[in-house]
Amino acid sequence: MEVKSQLKDKVNVIQIIGDLDSNSAPAAEAEMAKHIVAGCCIVLDFSGLHYISSAGLRVLLMIGKQLKTVGGRWAFCGLSEETADIMEMTGFSGFFTMYPDLKTALSNLSAKQA
Amino acid sequence: MTNRIDLHPTHSHGEFKLRAGKPLPFGTTLVPGGVNFSVFSRFATACDLVLFKKHAPTPFAEIPFPREFRTGNVFSMIVFDVDYENIEYGYRMDGPYDPENGHRFDKEKILLDPYAKLVSGRDVWGKEPDWNNIFPHRGQILADDFDWEDDCQLETPFEDLVVYEMHVRGFTAHASSKVKHPGTFAAIRDKIPYLKDLGINCLELMPIHTFDEFENSKISPVTGERLLNYWGYSNVGFFAPKAGFAATGKFGMQADELKNTIKTLHKNGIEVILDVVFNHTAEGNENGHYISYRGIDNKTYYMLTPEGYYYNFSGCGNTLNCNNPIVRNMILDCLRYWVTDYHIDGFRFDLAAILGRDQNGAPMSSPPLLETLAFDPILGKCKLIAEAWDAGGLYQVGSFPSWGRWAEWNGKYRDDLRKFLKGEPGLAGAVSQRIQGSPDLYQWEARENCASVNFITCHDGFTLMDMVSYDGKHNEANGENNSDGGNDNHSWNCGWEGSSEDDEVNRLRVKQIKNAAAMLLISHGTPMILAGDEIGNTQYGNNNAYCQDNELSWLNWDQLSENAEIHNFFKQMIALRKTHPMLRYSSYAQNAAADVEVSWHGTSAWHADWSGEARTLAFMCRRWQSDERRAFEPDLYVAMNMHWDAHGFELPGLENGRRWHVFANTDMPHPQDIATPGNEILLDNQHDFMVGPRSVVVLIGK
Repeated sequence: MEVKSQLKDKVNVIQIIGDLDSNSAPAAEAEMAKHIVAGCCIVLDFSGLHYISSAGLRVLLMIGKQLKTVGGRWAFCGLSEETADIMEMTGFSGFFTMYPDLKTALSNLSAKQA
Repeated sequence: MTNRIDLHPTHSHGEFKLRAGKPLPFGTTLVPGGVNFSVFSRFATACDLVLFKKHAPTPFAEIPFPREFRTGNVFSMIVFDVDYENIEYGYRMDGPYDPENGHRFDKEKILLDPYAKLVSGRDVWGKEPDWNNIFPHRGQILADDFDWEDDCQLETPFEDLVVYEMHVRGFTAHASSKVKHPGTFAAIRDKIPYLKDLGINCLELMPIHTFDEFENSKISPVTGERLLNYWGYSNVGFFAPKAGFAATGKFGMQADELKNTIKTLHKNGIEVILDVVFNHTAEGNENGHYISYRGIDNKTYYMLTPEGYYYNFSGCGNTLNCNNPIVRNMILDCLRYWVTDYHIDGFRFDLAAILGRDQNGAPMSSPPLLETLAFDPILGKCKLIAEAWDAGGLYQVGSFPSWGRWAEWNGKYRDDLRKFLKGEPGLAGAVSQRIQGSPDLYQWEARENCASVNFITCHDGFTLMDMVSYDGKHNEANGENNSDGGNDNHSWNCGWEGSSEDDEVNRLRVKQIKNAAAMLLISHGTPMILAGDEIGNTQYGNNNAYCQDNELSWLNWDQLSENAEIHNFFKQMIALRKTHPMLRYSSYAQNAAADVEVSWHGTSAWHADWSGEARTLAFMCRRWQSDERRAFEPDLYVAMNMHWDAHGFELPGLENGRRWHVFANTDMPHPQDIATPGNEILLDNQHDFMVGPRSVVVLIGK
C-alpha cells in the first residue's frame, strides 16, 4: 500500500493505492492523521485502491471520528462499485459522503468552503 | 494503555513473541499489540496453536502452549505482532484415544476453536470446497467494534409481535427477487419496505450460525442436481455467522454485514430472532469427521453411552452434552455474545427438549441450563422460544419448564387448526382453546407473559399453499424414496393432488389459505407466518425441503402479483390485529385475562356446538362491562364455518347503538373478501349472517 497526499484548491487530497487491510492500516492511519487539524478539508481518493478489508474500513471510520471532533470535513471519491457496495452493506457508507471522481469531490467541497 | 507490564512479551517461539494469556474470555480477543488465544480442554495433555496465512494450504507456524500457559484446564497465550486479519488459526490437541472411555484425541487433526467468531472455508455459498484441505473450517479473528450508534434491542412486547420465519438464502435467492446480491443478509435490507408494508415486526431467521452446506451432500436421483444441506440445522461454529449468507463473506466481513442488517431492521421496527441449534453439531457419530469438539474434548461436549458411543436424541448422529457445566456455559456465552455483539432480540431453540435432558439423556424436572437462560441478566429481555420436543420422543408442548420466561412453538395449535380447516368434525372445543392462546396448556402456570407461538405452517412441513394442494408429501427429489418428512400433515388437496387447472379447486384453495390466515391472526398468542405463505409460495408438495437449494424452496416473487389477493388478505388481517388491542392480550393470569370477555357462539348466538359433529364455531371479543375501554374499543365477532355447506349464524346483539360491520368474508371474491381496518361495511341484516361453505367471517361492532 502507498499513501500520497497533495494540496489542491485548499483541499488535502490523499490517495490510497493498493490494499488497505490490517497489515497496512496502521501506516495509512498515521499518514492520514497528519492532516487532521481544526477545520481541515480532506478528500480520500480511492481510484488506486485494490482491496479494502474490515480493518481498512475501521481505520477510515476512526479517521472520520477524529475529523468530526476537530470540525474537519471530508469526502471519498473514486470507489469501485464493489468497494462502494461493501461499504453500503457493512454500514460504513452511512458515515461518509461519496463522489464518483476527484473533480466532483473537489468542486463540492470547495463550494461548501467558499 | 500500552505501558502496562503485562503487555510485554515474556517468551518467544521462533519469530513469535509470547506471554501467558488470560484464560477468560475463551476464544480470541484483540489486546494491545497482540491477540489473546484461550481454549478449554479437560483431558488434553498438550495443545499447539496452529497458524495459517489466509487460505494457505499448510500452516506457517505451530506454537506449543508452554506448561506455564495452562491454568487449570485452559490453555491461554498472547501472541504479539500478528497480522490478525490475514491469519487463520486452529488448535492441535494431544491426549488419549480411548473411545470406550469417551476420548478421541488425535494430534494429526487441526481443530476449530469452539469460540471462533469468524469461520472461513465456506465463504461463498455452494462453491465446491477443496476436499484435500487439511483444515477446512478455520477460525479467524474478528475486530468486534461495530458502530451500533444508538441501536438496542427493541423489546417489543411478545403479544404485539407478528413473526415471519425466513431462510436467509431462500428469501431472495430467486432471480424474481430483483436484488443486487441475492440470497444474502444484505438483500434482506433491500426487502425491508416489503416487510414493513406487509406489517410483520419480527424476523425469525433459520440457522445462520456457521454450518457446512456440503455436509452429506449427494446427487438427487430425480433431478441429477447436487443436494446441499440448505437449511443448516447442523452447527460447525456457534459464535460465527455463516459467511456464505453474506455478500461480503468472501472478504471476511460477514459479521459487519449481518450487524448492519440487524441495525437497519431495528431502525424499521423489526426484531430479529435466531433459530439456534444447540442439540447437536456437524461432527456426526463415531464415523463422522473431526471439526472441533470431538478432538478438543469429546467426553465433555457430547452425550455418550456407557460404551462411548454417541447418543442420538437429535436424529443427527450426536447429541450436545447441554447439561454438562462446561457446555452449559458455552451455550450461555454464545447467547450472550449474540445479544451483546449482534443485538439479537430473541432465540428459538431447535429441538429444545434435548436441553432438558441430563448427561445420560434422562429428562429433568428442573433443567439447570433452561433455568440459567430464563434468569440470565444479559438475556433478560430476550424472547426465549422452545421447540418443545426432540427426536428422542420427548414431547413437552404445554409442559416445557418455563419459569414464566419460555414460550413454545405450539405444535398443538398447528395440528388442531389444520384438522379444523380441512373439515374434520368435533374440533370446536380444541379450536376454542387454541384461539384463546391455549389456556388448557399454559394457564396452569398463571404465566405473566405470552407462552404460545401460534403457527399453522413453518419451514418444517408443507407451505400453506401446499397444505391446501396436497394430501400427501412428495419428497422424491430428496433422494430418500419419499420416506423422509412427516406423514401427519393434516392437509387436504381440495379435490386434486398438486397444481390444478380447475378454477373451482383453485378458488377453494385460495379461500382455505385466507381461512387459515384469518384464524391465525385473530388468535391470542404470538402469530408466526412462514415467509412466502403470504404470496402463495409452493414447494410442489415437498414437506422437508432441507436439501433443496433451488427453485423448489426459494421464494418466487412473481407470485406476489399472481397471488395479490392472498397477499392483501394477510396484510389486512395483520393490520386488523394491530388495530385491536383485544386481539393481543398478554396474560394467562386470571385477573389479567379478565381484560377481555370472550364468548362462544354457534349458528345460534350464545350456543356454541361443542358436539363431536361440530364444524362451526363463532366467538365474540369485547371488553368487560366494568372496563372503561369498552366505550371506545369496537367489539369483534368471528364466525368460522368449516362445513361444506353454508350456514346461517345468528349474531349476538350489540349495546349502545353499535352495529355490525363486515371486515372480512372469505367466501366473497376479491376485493370484497376483506376491507381495510376502519372501512368495514355496515351489515343490512344485524341479526343473521349466512356464512358460506368453508368460510370465515370477521365482523366489527362499532
